[in-house]
Amino acid sequence: MSQHLTPPIRRALLLTSLPVYILLYAPLALIAVFSFAPAPGGTAAGLHWYDALLHAPNVLAALRRSLTLALGSSILGTVLGTLMGFGLSRFRSRARSGFAAALPSLIIYTPIIMPSLVFGISELIFFNLMHNATGLFAAGLLTMGIAHVTFQAPYVALVVFARMAGLDPNLFEASHDLYANGRQSFLHLTVPVIRPAIIGGFLLAFTLSIDDFTISYFTAGPGSTTLPIYIYSAVARKGISPDINALATLMIATVIGIGLLQYGFTRQKDRLAVPRTGD
Amino acid sequence: MQGRAERTERLARAWRLWMTAGPGLFWIVIFLLLPSLILLGIGFFSIGNYGNPHLPLSLEPFREVAGYSILGWSPDNIATILRSLLQAVSAAGLTILLAYPVVFFIVTQPPALRPLLLLFVILPSWTNQVVRTYAWMELLGPGSALSHLAQNAGLIPPHLGLMPGILAMQIGLTYNYLPYMVVPLYAAAEKLDWSLVEAGRDLYASGRRLFWSAVFPQTIPGLLSGIILVAIPAFGDYVVPTLLGGGKSMMIGSLIASQFLDTPNWPYGAALTIFMLIFTCAGLIVFRVMSKRLGSSEGSMI
Repeated sequence: MSQHLTPPIRRALLLTSLPVYILLYAPLALIAVFSFAPAPGGTAAGLHWYDALLHAPNVLAALRRSLTLALGSSILGTVLGTLMGFGLSRFRSRARSGFAAALPSLIIYTPIIMPSLVFGISELIFFNLMHNATGLFAAGLLTMGIAHVTFQAPYVALVVFARMAGLDPNLFEASHDLYANGRQSFLHLTVPVIRPAIIGGFLLAFTLSIDDFTISYFTAGPGSTTLPIYIYSAVARKGISPDINALATLMIATVIGIGLLQYGFTRQKDRLAVPRTGD
Repeated sequence: MQGRAERTERLARAWRLWMTAGPGLFWIVIFLLLPSLILLGIGFFSIGNYGNPHLPLSLEPFREVAGYSILGWSPDNIATILRSLLQAVSAAGLTILLAYPVVFFIVTQPPALRPLLLLFVILPSWTNQVVRTYAWMELLGPGSALSHLAQNAGLIPPHLGLMPGILAMQIGLTYNYLPYMVVPLYAAAEKLDWSLVEAGRDLYASGRRLFWSAVFPQTIPGLLSGIILVAIPAFGDYVVPTLLGGGKSMMIGSLIASQFLDTPNWPYGAALTIFMLIFTCAGLIVFRVMSKRLGSSEGSMI
């Protein structure tokens, strides 16, 4: 395609794109630079603020909660999502059309397209009313987990559905002909065949949960501060501070590291380039 | 006999569908569809003493959305809604200006390099939105180098920063949603039919005319998807206006959130939400009609 544009135009494209790439990374790089600031009263740049993080019980507790929440919700989200993706791909009647046939897709897409603010506030009200009525569902990790499963399951379902669509339907006919019942054929044929999609869906669910701020913020209780909520409260309270710089740098490095690893390990045609706001 | 076997077969299929997809669908209905219907319903209740929803049903919350309160009418809400619209439109405009050169730069690179270059545009969006917005607080705050520059140039009063304010909010939104413009535009640009460009060049068309008549029309489907993906979330954004906007430049997202967090007023907050969703749906419908009319496929939609 390069031969379609003249060298001066290609040079101009390079010169205009380079600043955009710099714009994308400069703010993140700046946080990293500031995170090595010297300790108060000191002059030597170093790892002081990282050391401070390791001795901050609040930060470690928030990290632990984030990981617990992400792990618990992604397991349930992956189970529900996989079953949805599999069931809709295999058993949805192709003959019928109209509203009844489109209903499951509509339900699955709702959590994905609903603005996260509306999502979060709906959950806040719902859990509040439920708590007043029954005494259950006190705001905390449980309510956050329920909300996270609600947005994770549809993404897992889409990943699994896409994998199912790429399979030969005769595969299932063959297992049927060999007198495998539904459960056998699901456990011994479907699960092994779609395993990459299940693992991919689980990882996606996990990162969605770790990244989420808005929905978590509205479903959190007094004792369930996760890492993004911790950062948000610290920033809203005291603005910029070096220990938050260190924490943010670690989060940025982790996410970019995982992103590059994922890119390196996936096959060319399976690469899914999707931007996420992670809100 | 044939009909009976068919019916059993159909029933078995339906049973299996509900056993597999049922639990997940049920979960979403109970924990999202039902709660969001409750939220919308609350917009039609009277406002109680503690901001709680009260019977009888009334349109009082919507009167408050229009700007009427015990203190009389105020234009604040209309200003907030217009500001949110303006921010969403200009975020879309700015991301378009930044995305076109990047997209065509990537498309003109060797095929093996392209996914990596695209990944580098997307990677920052995988970091947490709070962290990304925090980075701009650092860059634009009162003590930052950029603010000093602006102070010395006389653009802002001394001791003030470029943040908080409308400009900071605009930068934050553009930064956050740029990848959402790049990805659909890239999808359209990669499929570009260059023979039209060649034909135009043979006819000695100028570069500008080539772009506008041979290249640009082919990227319109991607452009429309990009505008939807940028403008809609930017319109209702909550994190950016709260952290970068400050008290004087509220957006509808932060206004809604404060009705449920600071001093609760659920019916008013719910009415504002209904209002925001109406705007969102109207935007979606307009762009859907436009892209249908242009005969574009939705393949470039994520």
